[in-house]
Amino acid sequence: MKIIVHDLQQQEFAGWVDDPNAELTVLSDNDTIRQCMGCFGCWTKTPGVCVIKDGYQNIGELLSKCDELIIISKCMYGSYSPFILNVLNRSISYMLPYFVTKNGETHHRNRYDHQFALSVHFYGHDITEAEMGTARTLVAANSMNLYSIGNKVYFHNSLQNVKEAVL
Amino acid sequence: MKIAMINGSPKPVKSNSALMLKTLDPLISTGNELTYYNINKRPLTIEQYCELCRMDTLIIAFPLYVDGIPSHLFRMLVALEEFMRVEREQEIYVYTIINNGFFEGRQNHIALEIMRNWCTRCGLHFGQGLGQGAGEMMGFLEKVPLGQGPLKNLGKAMESLAHNIHSRSMDESMLFSPNFPRFAWRFSATHSFWNATAKKNGLKKKDMLKRL
Ligand SMILES: Cc1cc2nc3c(=O)[nH]c(=O)nc-3n(C[C@H](O)[C@H](O)[C@H](O)COP(=O)(O)O)c2cc1C
Repeated sequence: MKIIVHDLQQQEFAGWVDDPNAELTVLSDNDTIRQCMGCFGCWTKTPGVCVIKDGYQNIGELLSKCDELIIISKCMYGSYSPFILNVLNRSISYMLPYFVTKNGETHHRNRYDHQFALSVHFYGHDITEAEMGTARTLVAANSMNLYSIGNKVYFHNSLQNVKEAVL
Repeated sequence: MKIAMINGSPKPVKSNSALMLKTLDPLISTGNELTYYNINKRPLTIEQYCELCRMDTLIIAFPLYVDGIPSHLFRMLVALEEFMRVEREQEIYVYTIINNGFFEGRQNHIALEIMRNWCTRCGLHFGQGLGQGAGEMMGFLEKVPLGQGPLKNLGKAMESLAHNIHSRSMDESMLFSPNFPRFAWRFSATHSFWNATAKKNGLKKKDMLKRL
């Protein structure tokens, strides 16, 4: 399955893909997502599932069935935009709480024997060099923690360019 | 000086970020007016955003989330940038205290860069950032005097931070781990934290490993 997580308005994204089906899941912002409250319940209460039941509790499980994760985000200060961050914050049940040491640094053990390819399309009309550098480092760190098969980072100065690159 | 003490943890109670602010408070309170802000339960009000634009200094304490900034804090920063563009009249210095779950405090370097980029966009001065590793240990060390035992690095960093806040200086950021062996941290985090919490919730080890 392919997953697209994007922060575009419904009308901006309309017509980009056919209706969602078994092969494609689209996560977008309809103003109902709640913030992670740092309780670790997705590890120690209901392992694998977030305790906040707002429709976004199953992101960890979704990722375990994903072969290709595509993130489309406005680049803000070298970070993802709030909705994308919110989705990522709510997805840590994809990992286990337990630790491994990789290259001398601590990371989490994986819950699933599964890997997906990760690509991130940042858009914005005035992204600075410094912000691009930060964003690349951020995606590489995420890729490491999510055990993704590599990571690709793109910067676009218009939504039209994002659309052409993603489709 | 008017100093805002902003807690960027989303936890409803007992955050490590709050402990960081509490540790810093006595080192900077003399002669300054400190005002605390929480965004864990509800977003800031328009009045509070405007107040922040009239501060001399912002201290932002927050946990590292997915190698970056927690989403609710990020929403606040995005909104604050708009307010700063319109409302700000004086020079504002920003200092951040990040804490992360993994042992190595250096893993906070990306969040620090994002804060720096945010300051640039807002026209604020980025003063200094601290990054404490093994953050969830902080609650267990409340009785340990600052600057001693596992809190030795934190003590030095807090002194440097307090000095820089007082003198409105910019300085090298400091990312560090507790003065405590990593294997011992890892052992107690695994058993006394994850497994003990799960057990309290009636779960067994195999439940924790569940695949869906
Ligand atoms: C959703 C989520 C994501 C996290 N991501 C990271 C991470 O990428 N790296 C890390 O070292 N710790 C991570 N942590 C651990 C927190 O940074 C750590 O628990 C911190 O001590 C919490 O601070 P607080 O009590 O001030 O909220 C994460 C925790 C949560 C809940």
